[in-house]
Amino acid sequence: MLAGSCSTIIPHGHSRAENWGYEERFQWRIWLSVSFHPSQPPAFEDSINTLFAPIIISCSTMVDRLGDSYTSFTTENNHTYVLHQFEECLYIAVNGDREEDEEDLKRKIYVMKKMIEVLFGMVTLSSTLIRKELRPQDTEQRTNLWKYLQSLLETYSRLREQDQSFLVEAVERLIHPTLCEQCIEFLERRLVQQINSSVERAGEEVLHAFILVHTKLLAFYSSRNASTLTSSDLLALIVMVQNMYPSNIDLEDTAPEDVENTSAPDIFYTPEPSPTNRDSGTDRDSVNSGRHEESRHEESYHVGSGTPVFQFLDPDIQMAEDSLRSLEAPPPDPSNPSRVFLEVTLKEGCYPMMPHSMYCLPLWPGITLVLLTKIPNSNLAMSVYVFLEAFAKLEKRLSEGLEGSAARGQTSIQDLRNKLDKFIRALGTSDIQTSQLQSVWTEFKSRAFTRGGPGFSRDLVPWCRTMKSQLCGVYRQCFITENTVGGGSPQHLSPSLQDRALTMVQEKLMDWKDFLLVKSKRNITMVSYLEEFPGLIHFIYVDRTAGQMIAPSLNITDRATSELGKGPLAHFIKGKVWGLVNTSRIYLQKGYSTVTLRDGDYFFCYFLWFENETGYKLEVKDLPILPNDSAPIGMLAWDYYRKLLRYYSKSHQGEVVKCYELLTVHLGVIPTEYILQHCSQLARKLWEPSRIPLL
Amino acid sequence: MAAMAEIIVPDSRRCINFFLYDGSKVKGEGDPTRAGICYFYPEETPLDKQELLCGQLAGVSRCVSELSSSPVRLLRLRRSKFAIRMKDNFLWALSCSMEMPDVSICDFLDQLINLFSFYNGPIRQSYQIYSQEHLAVRWTQYLSHLQGGATELHHIFSVLSTIDSTHIDPLLLLKAALILQACQRCPLVLAGCVLYCGRVVSTQMPPDLTVKVMVHEMETYKQDQRPNGLSSSSSSGSTPLSSPVTSTTVFLTATELQYLRSAPVDRESRSKSTQSTPKESNRPRKSRLLSRTLSDTPTTDPLDPDPTHCVPLSFHYPSTPQSTISDESLFSPSPTFHTPGPLSPSPIKVAPETSDHNLSNGKLSHEGEEGVTGSSYDHSFHSIDGGRAESGLAGGARSMQNKDLRHINGQNGGSIVLSGERAGALRFRGQESPEPGSQRVGNVEVFKEKEGQGSKGLLQADTCDVPPYSPSPGENSTEAPLLPMSLYQHRVRGLVLALLVEPDFHSNTAATEEVYHSSLASLNGLEAHLRTTALGAPGPHGPYTFAHFDCIQNTLTTNLSGRPGGAQECSFVRATSLLHSHFSHTEALQEAIVRSAGAAVYGTRSVAQETYFLQQGGAVRNSGIPNHQDSAFSLPSKARHRLMKHGVNLL
Repeated sequence: MLAGSCSTIIPHGHSRAENWGYEERFQWRIWLSVSFHPSQPPAFEDSINTLFAPIIISCSTMVDRLGDSYTSFTTENNHTYVLHQFEECLYIAVNGDREEDEEDLKRKIYVMKKMIEVLFGMVTLSSTLIRKELRPQDTEQRTNLWKYLQSLLETYSRLREQDQSFLVEAVERLIHPTLCEQCIEFLERRLVQQINSSVERAGEEVLHAFILVHTKLLAFYSSRNASTLTSSDLLALIVMVQNMYPSNIDLEDTAPEDVENTSAPDIFYTPEPSPTNRDSGTDRDSVNSGRHEESRHEESYHVGSGTPVFQFLDPDIQMAEDSLRSLEAPPPDPSNPSRVFLEVTLKEGCYPMMPHSMYCLPLWPGITLVLLTKIPNSNLAMSVYVFLEAFAKLEKRLSEGLEGSAARGQTSIQDLRNKLDKFIRALGTSDIQTSQLQSVWTEFKSRAFTRGGPGFSRDLVPWCRTMKSQLCGVYRQCFITENTVGGGSPQHLSPSLQDRALTMVQEKLMDWKDFLLVKSKRNITMVSYLEEFPGLIHFIYVDRTAGQMIAPSLNITDRATSELGKGPLAHFIKGKVWGLVNTSRIYLQKGYSTVTLRDGDYFFCYFLWFENETGYKLEVKDLPILPNDSAPIGMLAWDYYRKLLRYYSKSHQGEVVKCYELLTVHLGVIPTEYILQHCSQLARKLWEPSRIPLL
Repeated sequence: MAAMAEIIVPDSRRCINFFLYDGSKVKGEGDPTRAGICYFYPEETPLDKQELLCGQLAGVSRCVSELSSSPVRLLRLRRSKFAIRMKDNFLWALSCSMEMPDVSICDFLDQLINLFSFYNGPIRQSYQIYSQEHLAVRWTQYLSHLQGGATELHHIFSVLSTIDSTHIDPLLLLKAALILQACQRCPLVLAGCVLYCGRVVSTQMPPDLTVKVMVHEMETYKQDQRPNGLSSSSSSGSTPLSSPVTSTTVFLTATELQYLRSAPVDRESRSKSTQSTPKESNRPRKSRLLSRTLSDTPTTDPLDPDPTHCVPLSFHYPSTPQSTISDESLFSPSPTFHTPGPLSPSPIKVAPETSDHNLSNGKLSHEGEEGVTGSSYDHSFHSIDGGRAESGLAGGARSMQNKDLRHINGQNGGSIVLSGERAGALRFRGQESPEPGSQRVGNVEVFKEKEGQGSKGLLQADTCDVPPYSPSPGENSTEAPLLPMSLYQHRVRGLVLALLVEPDFHSNTAATEEVYHSSLASLNGLEAHLRTTALGAPGPHGPYTFAHFDCIQNTLTTNLSGRPGGAQECSFVRATSLLHSHFSHTEALQEAIVRSAGAAVYGTRSVAQETYFLQQGGAVRNSGIPNHQDSAFSLPSKARHRLMKHGVNLL
């Protein structure tokens, strides 16, 4: 069907800079204008490579000879190039429209990296393997993969531009306690129990189940023995779901029914910790899924076709609209789950990038049921991680010249040896190719443990690397091979089981469907706060410990009149809110936890503070001052707040520390003291709802 | 969290690396990179590192600017950042510590480049005329001059150092202004400034031009210091070793010149009428003249030759500097042009030998006394008082008119001088004649450095997001045609009268003598008074730190000491730097309070000024949760009260 397509990731040519993995350009306004002609994909890749080659080569020279690397270029016409290197992969992001600044681009690079980690797990730890994954030999496969990554990034960008929860990177919940309670109970007692007790589950076990209305969370249930899902992972999954079943904002705004007035949320449901799984009957039925695939790409195309400010001048690489549309990847089999790699925290420790299957079942357009299951051999991933970590530590110690201490850790080395031997033996019984791992391991052992051999010395460092790479290879075989993006392993919840689950939830929510769709657009209305807080225009309240946010809806479409009014003013306010979030991050990065700004006719406040579990306000501590090239502040790609909480907790041992943020926009004519009073009242008022645990 | 806890130690050195690279020298494969390196700072850097930096940065900048069809402006690495300027085949790069705001580092580089072309003319030509070694000395000198600020704040704001007006009798400032006005009676004098010990006493030029003029002053000042210390007794008969009057060629951009040549009265409308020039529209209003002077009324001067005298002058500009140099008829009295460097002071004996005897002190100080206390000044003093009341009323209005009139000296003195000027303007209003059209820079023949200026200019006009109150990048004089002018300096010990004059000023004996004699006595008097005034005594140190930056005049008032300060001072500087950079790219932002655990800083700005304030004291115990009783939010009112006595009015 297609010979090539526009691409987000351009693996770098083999000729010039061998070790530079690939480079990326994202900024979809550019992509489409630089997309290449279907008949000549290699030409496009080559042209990109040629264009960027001097930069890429210079990057490696600077790293080699100065130990420093480029992070950005800004030109006089405000083009910004952001470069970031993770391991051996160099990412380059260019803004074509001059709107995105350096921080936005950097954030996109980190989000891209996060998405790649979610999709490829620990394979990302081996640069040779991940390079192969990201640049499959098969053109069609490569095209599909790149297209998929591109659409993920486009989806993320759209969410970040439209959705406040992606602006501040925290999950937004649908505020309807009764329904929320019912749904959680339903998910727990009926759905998850039924699936987990079914024979058709093929060894998988549902760990988490949640219902999304657009990007907002209606209900979230985690089974008892599941680890908590981190905010970072949950946000990344929402991006994936949105990518699969995008919300078309314009269409949904045609439903003009008014929502029941959900004034300031008074009653809130705090669910009990989920009880143990109990068996119950299994109901099945079957319905469709995955038919919204098509519309999505058209929309994204139109987004991109605006004005190609940034163009490479070769007209050959311009692509006709029609050919672009014909390049759509075939929709994957909807009943196949996506393989996702998520962080798992167990008693034994924290395991990043553990394999899960994600089932997205579209209940109705805009409403999705998501099931996350544990796959049968996921224990293997844990073992691989433990071994990888052990070799990484060993490598570090050896390369630092601490042979002594490496040897002193003899017991753990012996332990590692025994465990790995056992692990390889166990693998032998499965159909996983282990011969290479085995031979490398034998070689390693003969070097390290043989009497009279070289022992633990710096010479062992390359062997540590090879071992790591071999382990990643095993991991890849287990969790990725037959399951590239959208593909599915033969083992998963049977389609009929999925269908039954879907129907169950559909039946449950049938009467609520329309309400939910409208409610998701009017989750909290500013009207309900106006009386109490005259002059308040907007606010965002974030509980960083739970990774949740509350904010009045900001709907800016041409059709619906929001409380901010229509058209330019609403857009203006939205722009201000978005700008304020960026500004507050700049100051937070430099250690400022309180910022107030008088900007034109508006007054902005930003506060970050800590509390203990009972709501007692903890004293401010000096926040770390981050260097300019540090990761962007947020929760999606790099969880700044988790690190912040850990840092703060050091001085509050044995106490649960919670972190909150409040941003407000007021009319500038309101006296400052009233504004500040508002802020403190608002913080008190919003504190309660935010305590509903995410479960 | 180890990485998060990392705290950056601020590097007080402003410039880490600077280089000028000529890409045209490295064309072929075999050409060594070193051939293209025109100048590298620090000069002791090993050559291979120089080559590495120049080669990589030039290559990568070129690649990026080709991709974006626009020159690179800023290049960041993980541990440093470079402001970049690209012009023809030249590339300038300047790196600073990461703490320096982007605006400041780009300004710094522009200043440096402009400074070079001010004294040396277009870059390509200067490298054709002078040896690389010779120009390297210049670059070093300009770099050290621009880095000479007292505190880190000076670097953040690109400050023009002025004398502390709060410690000086305002009448002295008035006197300095009057000296300048008197000089301007000669139509060949464009504008001038009075400097004392490397600080500005009074100036008629826009700040960026004043900075340039000061470099030469500093240089000659140092030279004077060496053989005969400034502090040496001023007993009668001791004559300075070098001649008091020097002259050197300088190069002004057409825009600068146009501002200087056009009469202040008409400046407002003129700048509007010339909007069509991209340069013009890009220029911030700071480039307007700062004071109105008696020269507004050129016809009142009896000695003034025909006002149309200026017109033929403009036709004398030759199209190349070479011909300028050889043009004996224009420059014959000045031997400067045959001396190796344009900056080396060229003594011109303007006055006859006997004038040196006039310098003998007794008489001069007497004249000075008379100048200050004499009845002729009393009159103007009274009229000033009237003017002050008047301007006080109008003070609140943020009209641009007032801003134009503000004088270089800080708030206290400034307001008096301002009113003085107002009074002066009032007095002379009746006699004001319409500005002679001849003063316009019409079809001045200029030499362009290269072809293709027009398109460059247009490109810059496209950059519409230039921060409004920082010098626009388009201001770089290397992109504009440069016109040779002359810088006349008359030194009386620490005091210097620097005038930008038309090139044939020196051939006009009548004019030179007139300017020399009319200012000599007053300069001596002024110097005597300034010498007796304690300079640079730090202001009162309260339990607070503040910085007040005047964006029109580029002056800074602060009670921050130059010494590396404590934690509070560090956090003040850091917050100020962040806020300044925020202000510079957010036009509508008026006020900000930022608070970390240890310190809260209040920043406020208007079109004309930026003020930063930190209340010292023990770390305020708070939780960070919104609380209207929080001390941080009382900073605005505290700042208003405290800063009154520093002459900073925040109302």
